[in-house]
Parts: sequence; structure tokens; C-alpha cells
Amino acid sequence: MLSIPDLVAWFADPVNGDGRYGLWFLLLEHVGITLAALLIATVVAVPVGLAIGHTGRGEFLVIGLGSISRAVPTMGLLFALVLLWGVQLRDFSLLVALAAIAIPPLLAGAYAGLTTIPWGIRDSAKAQGMTGFQRMRYVEFPLATSSIIGGLRIAFIQVVSTVVLAPLVGLGGLGFGVVQGLVLRNYSQVVASSLVIIVITILGSQLLGSLQRRTGDRL
Amino acid sequence: MDWFFANASFVGGLALTHLSIVIVPIIVGSILAIVGARLVRVRWVPGTSAVLSAVYAIPSLALFVVLPALIGTPFIGPTNVIIALTVYAVASMFFSARDAFAQVPSSTKTTATALGMSRFQLFVHVELPMAVPGLISGLRVVSASTVSMAAIGAVVGVRNLGYLFLDGFQRRIPEEIGMGLLAVFVIAMAFDLGLWLLGRALTPWRTGGGHRA
Repeated sequence: MLSIPDLVAWFADPVNGDGRYGLWFLLLEHVGITLAALLIATVVAVPVGLAIGHTGRGEFLVIGLGSISRAVPTMGLLFALVLLWGVQLRDFSLLVALAAIAIPPLLAGAYAGLTTIPWGIRDSAKAQGMTGFQRMRYVEFPLATSSIIGGLRIAFIQVVSTVVLAPLVGLGGLGFGVVQGLVLRNYSQVVASSLVIIVITILGSQLLGSLQRRTGDRL
Repeated sequence: MDWFFANASFVGGLALTHLSIVIVPIIVGSILAIVGARLVRVRWVPGTSAVLSAVYAIPSLALFVVLPALIGTPFIGPTNVIIALTVYAVASMFFSARDAFAQVPSSTKTTATALGMSRFQLFVHVELPMAVPGLISGLRVVSASTVSMAAIGAVVGVRNLGYLFLDGFQRRIPEEIGMGLLAVFVIAMAFDLGLWLLGRALTPWRTGGGHRA
């Protein structure tokens, strides 16, 4: 059984904090992988989502991708990509697999950001003679920001807890403590690593949530 | 495809295990969440929501591994995975159920109360049927995520479809991983279709004519 003193002792022991596979390095690595995957997904999904919302074409993509992606286990996708592209490119495979789970919520956020703007606003911008680019730049994008950040928040929560699978293909991040602890039956290590993941998930989700609210009152 | 035909009964067995592991969390978790969403008092909602979103932030692999140490379940066997998946199902479904009940117009509820319905009758005959569309869309999310998340249970020794990923990866058989992805996808879509049909059957007034003159 796991006890709180064991856990405190684990955190207090400098052996568990230092070095390549110490808590601090793994934490940095975990956050780095998460941010890189989110960046890739944002660059791909947000312009596409905005374009779909702007033109009203391709809406099936937003809905379809959302329900399909939930039914694809990331572990299987990751292993398949690593086998396909080779072990040397496994970092890239990991980022692609993580981006794949981040894209649907980001796409939905960007799309919903445009389509939930009250219809009169987009029409009056058009009636003012604004070009498509001007409407996007000065009307649609500013009003969609909050919803895009909302999509980013959901994507973040999913990605940050899925990075845990990285050690299964020989990569790092806080999942290393979970997987190594599982093999060694070192539950303090598992719980300590999970606690750190939970804390960064909640912190990041709160941060993005407050950003979402702050950008939400532009009307 | 050769790999599949040579191993069809093996994959079928894993698929059955997979089904048996996801069915309890989907049903029990959803019922707990739906009843909970209706019963939790208004002033407890912020606290409950905070706890459930924290629960949702626990990585599934970590929860599978830690449960035996926390609640004393056996290390080996599907119990931990079933309990963990139920916890996630509750955490996800609670929010959809709360939103679904919030969308029932208060005038409808007042009318039902004025007709003399008890609170239980109100719940069973008015709130539940009117919340069906929202509940079904929440259930579709829960069933798909449970089916695909269960695969991670293979890492802690549960022989379900996730085993195809681990085995295929270690022995470098891409067909095996592909088969696992396809099987998980088919099961998830079957649940999705079933829930969609259930939603239609439970809300005949929404499908627009046909049933009644």
C-alpha cells in the first residue's frame, strides 16, 4: 500500500530530482513535448478551422474528425507511426500522434468561434465593403479568439496527459516515472510523477481558462 | 490481411475481452453521472466540478497503475482498469448530464409540478425524456473514449485489443497494430451507432412525423 510519508520521502530525496531521468528534467521535457505538439496542431488546425467557418464549406470535416479521433487509441497510432517511419524518427512520430489528438478540438474551437458570432455582425462588416481578408483580420478573428483559446484548453488537457505514453517508445517526459515505477513496483514514483502531471494540467487549464474569459467580452 | 485471417480467432477473443471491460464502465459510469448530476445540490456543484475536472486530469496509465496501491485491489487482472474507466466515465458524463438537465425549460417543469407530479415522477417522466438528446451526445463521447482508452490497459497486463499494439510493436508486425486500430474503431463506431439509434427511439417526437398521423 502507498503511504503519504513514503511519498513525501520520495519528493525529499535529491536522487529523484536530479539528473537526466530526475523529476526536474522530465518535467521540462514533458512541458516541452506538450508545447511543441500544441504548436504544430495550432498551426495546422486554426487556419483550417477559420477558413471553414469563414467560407461555410467543409463543415463535415469539423464534426467528422471530432468523432473519429475519439475512437482512435493514441497508443496504437503512436506505435504504428514509429514502426512506419522507423525508430530514429520516433520524436517526430510522437509529435504527430499528439498533434492528431490536439487538432480536432482546436479545429472545432476555431470553427465555432466564427459561426457563433451573431449573424448581423458578419453581414454588416460585409455591407461596409470590407474585403474577405479585412473581415477576418478586424472582425472575425478578434471575436473568435476566446473560442480558439477554449479549443486550445481542451487540446492541452488531452495532450499533457497523453505524453505519458512517450516512454513506451523509448522517449522521456514524466511518463518515464510512471512506466519505470510500474515495472519496479515503486508506487511512490508512480504517484509522485502523476501528481506533478495533474498539477501542471490543472495550472495550464486554469491559465488558459482565464485567458479565455479575458478575451470573451469583446462585444 | 493475411495476418488477420491467420489470427482471426485470436483477435476475436481479444475483442470480446475488450467489450467485457468497457461495458461496465460505460453503463455504470453513465448512470452514476446522470443520477449524480441531478441529485447534487446547487451549492455543491462548483466543488464537485472542480474535483471531477481534477480527476479527469489524471493520466489513465497512472491511474491504472496506482489504483491497487490506493484501494487495495489485486495488482493483476482487469478490476483496476474497469474501476479507472468508470471513474473517467463519471468525470466526463457528469458535465454533459448537468448541461442536458439545465436545458429542460423551467416552464415545463413548473407545469408538470402544477399537474401534481411528485419530484420522482417529474424526473422520470419529464426531465429524463427531455434531456435525452443532450444525454445521448454525452454518452457517445463517453463510449468512444472508454473504448479507445481501455486499450492502454494492456500495458498493465489486461489482454484486450491494446495487446495487439504492444505485441505488434515489440515483434514489428504493422498489420497487427493496424488490426488493433481497426477493431477498436469498429467497436467504438458500433457503440456510437447504437446510441444514435437509441436516441431516435427514445425521442420519437423529434424525428418529424412518420410515427403518428
